Amino acid sequence: MIFTSFNFLIFFPIVIIIFFLFPQKYRWHFLLFASYFFYINLKPVYALLLAGVTLITYIFTRLIDNPKFANHKKSLLVVNIILALLPLFFFKYYNFVNQSVFTFLDYMGIRWQLPQINFILPIGISFYTFMALGYSIDVYNEEIHAEKSFGIVALFLSFFPLVLSGPIERAPNMFPQFKGRLLFNYYKIIKGLQWILWGYFMKLVVADRIAIYVHAIFTNISNHNGKSLFVGTLLYPIQVYADLGGYSLIAIGCAKVMGIEVMQNFNRPFFATSMSEFWRRWHISLISWLTDYIYTPLAFNLRRYKIWGIVIALLLTFFLSGLWHGATITFMVWGTIQGIFLSIEALTNKRKKNFVKKYKLHQRGWYLFICSLFTYFLFAFSEIFGGATESVSQGFLVIKKIFTNFSGPIWYENPSMILISLSAIFILFFVELKTEYFPGKFSFFNNENWVVRFLSYGFLITIILLIGVFDGGQFIYFQF
Amino acid sequence: MDKEAIIDKLTNIFRDVFQDPEILLNNEMTANDVGSWDSLSHMLMIEQVETAFSFKFKLKEINKLKNVGVLIELIESKVV
Amino acid sequence: MPTRLLTFKNNIYARFLLKLISLFLLVFILDFIIGGLLNRFYFTQESGNLFRTTYSFEHTSEDLLVFGSSTANHDYPSEIFQKRLKLSTYNVGRDGTSIFYDYALLQSILKRYSPKIIILNFDLDEFKKTSESYDRISSLLPYYRRHPEIRPIVELKSPYEKIKLFSKIYPYNSLFFSILAGNAEFNKKRRQDYQGYVPLTKIWGESLHSTKYKYQELDSNKIKIYKAFIHDCIAARVKLYVVCAPFFVNFENRSNSVMVGENIANEYRVKYFDFSGDPSILNKPSLFADMSHLNRKGAEIYSNKIIDKIINEESQEVSSQKR
Repeated sequence: MIFTSFNFLIFFPIVIIIFFLFPQKYRWHFLLFASYFFYINLKPVYALLLAGVTLITYIFTRLIDNPKFANHKKSLLVVNIILALLPLFFFKYYNFVNQSVFTFLDYMGIRWQLPQINFILPIGISFYTFMALGYSIDVYNEEIHAEKSFGIVALFLSFFPLVLSGPIERAPNMFPQFKGRLLFNYYKIIKGLQWILWGYFMKLVVADRIAIYVHAIFTNISNHNGKSLFVGTLLYPIQVYADLGGYSLIAIGCAKVMGIEVMQNFNRPFFATSMSEFWRRWHISLISWLTDYIYTPLAFNLRRYKIWGIVIALLLTFFLSGLWHGATITFMVWGTIQGIFLSIEALTNKRKKNFVKKYKLHQRGWYLFICSLFTYFLFAFSEIFGGATESVSQGFLVIKKIFTNFSGPIWYENPSMILISLSAIFILFFVELKTEYFPGKFSFFNNENWVVRFLSYGFLITIILLIGVFDGGQFIYFQF
Repeated sequence: MDKEAIIDKLTNIFRDVFQDPEILLNNEMTANDVGSWDSLSHMLMIEQVETAFSFKFKLKEINKLKNVGVLIELIESKVV
Repeated sequence: MPTRLLTFKNNIYARFLLKLISLFLLVFILDFIIGGLLNRFYFTQESGNLFRTTYSFEHTSEDLLVFGSSTANHDYPSEIFQKRLKLSTYNVGRDGTSIFYDYALLQSILKRYSPKIIILNFDLDEFKKTSESYDRISSLLPYYRRHPEIRPIVELKSPYEKIKLFSKIYPYNSLFFSILAGNAEFNKKRRQDYQGYVPLTKIWGESLHSTKYKYQELDSNKIKIYKAFIHDCIAARVKLYVVCAPFFVNFENRSNSVMVGENIANEYRVKYFDFSGDPSILNKPSLFADMSHLNRKGAEIYSNKIIDKIINEESQEVSSQKR
């Protein structure tokens, strides 16, 4: 079941009540049961897969950590990584590889196609596979000892708030919490519930509403003019942010209610003034995973090439990020674009810094505003390949139309939708703006006055009932 | 090489890589305290440290650098 | 010592529970007030889509009604049927609806009176299984409370619909601005429909192309409801005609929905007219507003054709009865 389904609204309170009724020592056992119950509800077969990856991870981490096999640590890690990646590779990239190989063989005049198998990707596989790999590598790097309790490892990979779509957490953060004292903490519960509420607002009111419009535009590119495509392009990042960001908040909030601290996944990304800063604020758990396990080893091994080593490492890392998102050329293009953006910024960093310092631009509000706007545009245009369109040629068609066919009215289905979408975006933007630039002031959820707090909760719930999308809002990251 | 000299040399590297001519090192300093110290410039700094002090880091050691103090200790152990 | 710990523990749990209950109360009150206001202003609208829906459910008294989706709403001008068949006519078709909506509407209308004739427009993908058809049952939500006869259809939307309907705001989800607009003074004076019929003025510029109709999975619920629609019309002694409107594609084979729909109509001895590929209309692209809808001119010509057929059928029946 997904967070925005009615089933979850029933599941979660029941789980919480039972959780706190359980004696403290066995709470994590109950969580393991609840997490598998949650995941099995999607499709029992997928739970077997999850258990399989868990088993591989458990066995190999124990072996890697065993002094008896100290000489074979590296080989053990390599086998571990390959085995853990097999299911992900198979489900996600089989068809793509099959098709590519077939196209190549066809070109060579040899026809030998393997059957096209149509799999539905097991939900969450990209996320829990990465968590498992991270844990294995951490054990290898001696960041953490291999966990002796199979149950704890199983809980780490199946933990229901995180299993479907992250944040991608780390063993050193989660294991101690699961094994530690899970207590009823009043303030954590309130905080968690606040995050859950705001997450639902972002997802149901902002993301799903914008999605209706954006979907109508991008599934009908040939019939829309450049202006409408431009509007769709500008709206898509907001949709993705509200979608994954909102969903992450619900996940983090659910964990918080249980007293478990999970890392932040987004940090108001649209206030970033450069792409480098943007990628420190967007999908933080994925980027820090890639930084720690891909970028750092790569950059380290290429450090003798100085700045060019960094550039290559960046390009490869973000190419991989694109690959993680999807088994299509579009996502690879998207990933490469991000790598190029960051490389350009890395290469021009010194010169830019001197320029900014010379004219004290970093103190000028208008300069920062222009920078964030420019960064947003860069990201929005790259997103044309990052999920808005289905193929690279479609993506280029969109760009071409924006620059050559900019006349005519902006398309809309009915004015009511526009007003609702704009109101939703306005509320989100207002709250983020005040949190970014006036932290502590104009507090609603954290106001000292309980009347303000209560009215804020009530107002938000009412807004969700009034303009939230309750029918079939699809979560983008579910094909992961 | 004694600690003072190490800190001196390191300070110069920091000032160059992180483009801040006024940086002063202290043991608790981390990347969070310096504006342009991120994962990009980190590796540049590492490479310069290796060249300046004539030794090679291991990847495992990089991951364990919690703050400047640990870095200085590590350099000390390598230089001896 | 243990008793002190116990009371302290009870304190946090109790505090939390108290706050939770007060929040529920607050939300309940807000929902009651705002939902009540939305309900009131929904039904005071005097023009627009939502007003027409309410009129269809609660105020029609016309002898001839046209049911269906946007195809019905834009292809059947009421005044033509009125003029030629000498029967008061209202077009109760509505954009974005399916047989679910038609059936619910039929229940509310039959509760009040039996029209003489009902024309049910049948889309080429009428029985296609889609999740949107169920989502769009939401257009019936505002009528759930005061029309018990439509509740079984509304509850098809999802297993939790009954629970969601505890909220008074929920039926008006997404309708806030529409309700506002429908009550605005200038909108009250705007009339874009003629006895329910909304004319389209665009002219489709493309040329006709041929293709194979792709068979789609059919929804057994929709087929069931369609049968019930026919059955209820017969039971209420309403003369029913099921009609397929022209579609601007030359299909090489018939849609499976149409074949099933026609078979069922024949079983119940109900007249089924298929004008979807009528060459005399399809060879004039200027009659179409887009691929699936006729414009004003096309609707006129098409409706006259239907009326010709109806009159023909009637006279044949009369003469066969006489024998």
